Amino acid sequence: MDSSDLPRRPELRNLIIRNRKRTILGFDPQQIIKYFFGANASTAVIVLVLIMIFLVREGVDFLPTNRHELQTYRQAGLEFCDLVDRPLREHQTLSSSLRQCVSAALEPIVKDARERRNAAFLLKTQAEEKAARQREALENALEREPPPAEDQLAALRKDLQTAAAAASQALIYPSLFTAEETALFKAQLAALSPELTDLPPFIQALSAEFMTQDRAAREKYADLVTAQEEFDEAPDDLHELVDELKEQALGAKQSVEESHALAVNRQQLLEAAETTADPDEKASLIKEAEASVGEEVDLTALTKELTARTGELQTQIAAYVESAEKAAASLPDDVGTPDAAALLQKAKKGLPAHVQDMREAATALESWRVDKPVSMLRVIGAFFFGTEWITNSSWQDFFGFVPLLTGSVVIALIAVFIATPISVIAAIYTNQFATDREKELIKPVIEFIQAIPSVVLGFIGISLVGDLIKEFSEVSWLQWIPGFPIQERLNMFNAGCLLAFMAVPTMFSLSEDALNNVPRGYIDASDALGATKLQTVFRVIVPAGISGILSAVLLGLGRVIGETMVVLLVAGNRIAIPDFSAGPGVVFQPAHTLTGIIAQELGEVSRGSSHWQALFMVGIVLFTISLLVNWCARAVARRFESQKA
Amino acid sequence: MDFCYGASRALEDISLDVPYHRVTALIGPSGCGKSTLLRCINRMNDRVPGARVTRGQVRVKGKNIHDADVDLTQLRKQVGMVFQKSNPFAKSIYDNVAYGLRIHGEKNKAVLDEAVERALRHSALWDELKDRLGASALALSGGQQQRLCIARAIATLPDVLLMDEPCSALDPISTLKIEELMSQLAREFTVIIVTHNMQQAVRVSDFTAFLHLGKIIEFGPTEDIFTNPREKLTEDYLRGIFS
Repeated sequence: MDSSDLPRRPELRNLIIRNRKRTILGFDPQQIIKYFFGANASTAVIVLVLIMIFLVREGVDFLPTNRHELQTYRQAGLEFCDLVDRPLREHQTLSSSLRQCVSAALEPIVKDARERRNAAFLLKTQAEEKAARQREALENALEREPPPAEDQLAALRKDLQTAAAAASQALIYPSLFTAEETALFKAQLAALSPELTDLPPFIQALSAEFMTQDRAAREKYADLVTAQEEFDEAPDDLHELVDELKEQALGAKQSVEESHALAVNRQQLLEAAETTADPDEKASLIKEAEASVGEEVDLTALTKELTARTGELQTQIAAYVESAEKAAASLPDDVGTPDAAALLQKAKKGLPAHVQDMREAATALESWRVDKPVSMLRVIGAFFFGTEWITNSSWQDFFGFVPLLTGSVVIALIAVFIATPISVIAAIYTNQFATDREKELIKPVIEFIQAIPSVVLGFIGISLVGDLIKEFSEVSWLQWIPGFPIQERLNMFNAGCLLAFMAVPTMFSLSEDALNNVPRGYIDASDALGATKLQTVFRVIVPAGISGILSAVLLGLGRVIGETMVVLLVAGNRIAIPDFSAGPGVVFQPAHTLTGIIAQELGEVSRGSSHWQALFMVGIVLFTISLLVNWCARAVARRFESQKA
Repeated sequence: MDFCYGASRALEDISLDVPYHRVTALIGPSGCGKSTLLRCINRMNDRVPGARVTRGQVRVKGKNIHDADVDLTQLRKQVGMVFQKSNPFAKSIYDNVAYGLRIHGEKNKAVLDEAVERALRHSALWDELKDRLGASALALSGGQQQRLCIARAIATLPDVLLMDEPCSALDPISTLKIEELMSQLAREFTVIIVTHNMQQAVRVSDFTAFLHLGKIIEFGPTEDIFTNPREKLTEDYLRGIFS
């Protein structure tokens, strides 16, 4: 059809709808408003991206830096020393449990004698304290030049005697002593004077008694005692040798570091010289740069000195292994008390593994190569699977984040474990059973928890929850709980409890929303079929809201993982992988966390150092975990949405 | 019978004798109290705060349902209900139908299987769904969902089946299926249906009650009401003078 055939637009229309479009700087105002709103909405996205970029920029250099450090660690021979030193450290643990075993075995025999002696010493100190003023007066008088008159001294002596007698009377004598002994001791205490240098004869007798008992006990368990002593001394020679080598290696490392620092300095000075325009300054910078040259460190020669002693080390290790095994073989089976037996079992169990480790170390020494390059994979592995986080060490820094991750995860799990039932049940109650008045009370109160500053909660954790847990752990009828009685007031359980408290508002509100979103029709249908309230709640409403509840729990987990202040204050901050052999009691051990370590250490490290970069790596991991958790929560919630439709 | 929501009276002077094993339709303009009346019969209004029967009584099979010895769950087992919008649970087809029996304590698998099959046959779903009883009820079409809701309601073998505009959200073909179903259901159940659609009332019901402003204007056999209304108001309504 020809376009001229189309009816012509009426003129009137053009008159009514006048083109009123005005532009500002060439833009349509509608467009400007749209862009303004769009920009505000995208700010959040941009900031998120910037955070990520910043974190990655600071953190990603960690890998090359740490690789260089590990390279030095190897080249300077520190790694070589650690090959022996690390397994040798197990000796300490074993030795200390044997030592505890010995004292536990001796305990029942020497206990009485020791307590009597200690009580006597305590009483003597108390008696002396009570007469301290008179005693001091006499002492001063005796030292005075010229010596004061005899009668003055006599008066002072008399004062002291009266005071000492009064003191000896006033003391409370424990029932450890018989009546006769008490009387005798009382008299001796009353006679105390500064001129007597020997201990009162009663105490001497008690000490002698204790020594005899101790000797008798040691004779009784002679096998154990000698085995323990032998084991304790077994690695002395090896230790000496390793220490010597370690010192050498450390010296090498320091000189390498110095020369590296000088080289970096030189590089910087030269760069500065390049950019400066002033010829004088340029000349002085170049001169300075030329001065900043360290002597070349010949690491190969240094480490050769170390490896040259491989044979010597191996001989020593063999000697140590032999004596350790001998000591282990001579350990008796029967050690009296159950405590001692348990400790002995622990040591006996650990010994073969330790010996094996030492043997392996001896072979590892041979295959160790100084020039083997450190692969990137190894560096990544050392970070993600490293079990040690050691900083500011005079020996070598290690950045393994497993201990931090375990701490964070265990604490978060405790928190979720506690918070989930509380918040979900509270949400079900509020949503389904509560009267309007109750709702008005419960909801704002729970939501208010969110407003409590976390540092205040940390404070409560230190001052209140810690003491409460400790006290409960000492109640006798609660001893069946694993880990009781606890050692540390500040531990993962404490932190977990507080974090649970912090997670409750999030979980509660979102679970309640999820229950609210259950379609009305479900409830109608269930009611109309004659279901009771409880049946409707548990067979229809909760199953229908379960994805929403799950998503709420996950978001609560996200909240808990990222929380810093409480864990920093309350978790105990021990950087070590908790000892999971303790079973569920592991929750009562202190730990450090991903968030806590950043807060604690970032302020103290120098910018750009490997430690700084390692902390940023931790930040990246933390960020990733949070993103993942939130993403999971969204995915679960989305499933819920699609189901409802 | 009078019925109030708080202070406002929703139903006044209702006196209705619903015939046994017949389909009774409640018609009337919006807000006239049809649904309220329907919900009085299985006491679904109980959970609305302030809603109560203020005068008279509701009797099901001669028993006043507000008597102290009436167990609400038993009453609702006796009086099933189907809603305007289909509302199957987000469970399998089988679990949906078995829900009513399960909440009344039936655990025997054989009994449940039999009841589910019977209910699905009654609601003309068995042939369509017998091979996928484990599938989610939400995957069914709208008409199937509504028939599933009917199956769920009749699985407990109620005496009375209340239907609150069961077809208003459905397409004509699904509506037709449900209407066919209703005449069959009337053989075993006393059916009371609320409907907006007067043709539907003519098609499916044996008796019709016309409500207006909370009062029953006219009640009688459907044919009489539609061909020969006694009241002027009924006639006006049926002729579409107001709606």
